[in-house]
Amino acid sequence: MLRGNFKKTVAVLLVLSVFITVFNLTDLSGKAKNFFFWLSSPIQRSFWQGGKNVSDFLTGILRTGALKKEAEDLRLENQELLVRIAGLVEQEKENEVLREALGLALEKESELILARVMNKDISQDSILINKGEEDGVSGGMTVITEQKVILGKIGAVYGRFSEVILISNENSSFGATILEREVDGVIKGKGGSGLSFGLIPKEKEIFENDVVVTSVLGGVYPPGFLVGKVKEVNKSDVDPFQSAEITPAFDVGSLDYLFILH
Amino acid sequence: MTKRIIFFIVILYILTLLQASFLVHFSLSGFLPNFVLIAVILVHLFSSSSKDKIIAALIGGFYLDVFSLNNAGGFFGFYILIMLAIFLFLKIISEKYVRFPIVKKI
Repeated sequence: MLRGNFKKTVAVLLVLSVFITVFNLTDLSGKAKNFFFWLSSPIQRSFWQGGKNVSDFLTGILRTGALKKEAEDLRLENQELLVRIAGLVEQEKENEVLREALGLALEKESELILARVMNKDISQDSILINKGEEDGVSGGMTVITEQKVILGKIGAVYGRFSEVILISNENSSFGATILEREVDGVIKGKGGSGLSFGLIPKEKEIFENDVVVTSVLGGVYPPGFLVGKVKEVNKSDVDPFQSAEITPAFDVGSLDYLFILH
Repeated sequence: MTKRIIFFIVILYILTLLQASFLVHFSLSGFLPNFVLIAVILVHLFSSSSKDKIIAALIGGFYLDVFSLNNAGGFFGFYILIMLAIFLFLKIISEKYVRFPIVKKI
């Protein structure tokens, strides 16, 4: 009896080892993933949309008070921004006149690939999108939202799908800046949709709600894309630099369409 | 036996899709319980067949591997091994340390 059990265990382990080795040494794992993503894509799309609708409905009920205050804050912020936009429009016109005078061509906009979110990784800060190798997507491409918020970069690419490693992923780090205060630093993902802004010189002043955008430092992402807002500033006498907690400008749950910079 | 395998394949597949696409919207501070793992543990606790337990663990692990992006540096089979380890752990615990009381008729 014992011998029979031992033989069965050895057989199961042997089959499993062969299965895992073959899947990892060949491209079979990528093909299997691509097949399952393709098979599940209609269901996943419905589940994603359904989850988003239910979550929005519940949020509306549970956070009525907070939403009212948020709406009031946004109304005030909107008014301030309208005033600033009016000033910027004037500057834009001046810029165009100067460009024409200097004979400089406007920088060519990058080509964009529209993609849809399929699912979020079970254990990490990554999402799956419905565009892959067949659509011209390749590893390392930058992914943004329609509001020009930086989301992350392309990781693994399958036939019709690809993985986006979010900026909140623990392995992600890139240069960022607070334009208003000319403060440069490094954004590092903390996992669980968290971000920290580190390596900020101590003599620089930063405050809550300061807007953080990507910078050219490190060359990971193109400059000027919105990252988020400063939530909390951490200063310590022991550390040579100061750091800050960042609230990302995106919410994975509310994502639907996004763009890949070609 | 075949019916049970199909049952596990379908149920665990639906659970994995729900976990990855639907329940993501309800995570609390980025935390979401792994429902596939919970299902595999429940099968272990409530099923008497050893075959059922190992099959559920392997199918659950396979689905988690397929729907997890870049887990363990892209190593396929990570969750299968984790599920197998959990199966063995629960097997040892339940065989060696758990005793169900037997009620005798008076």
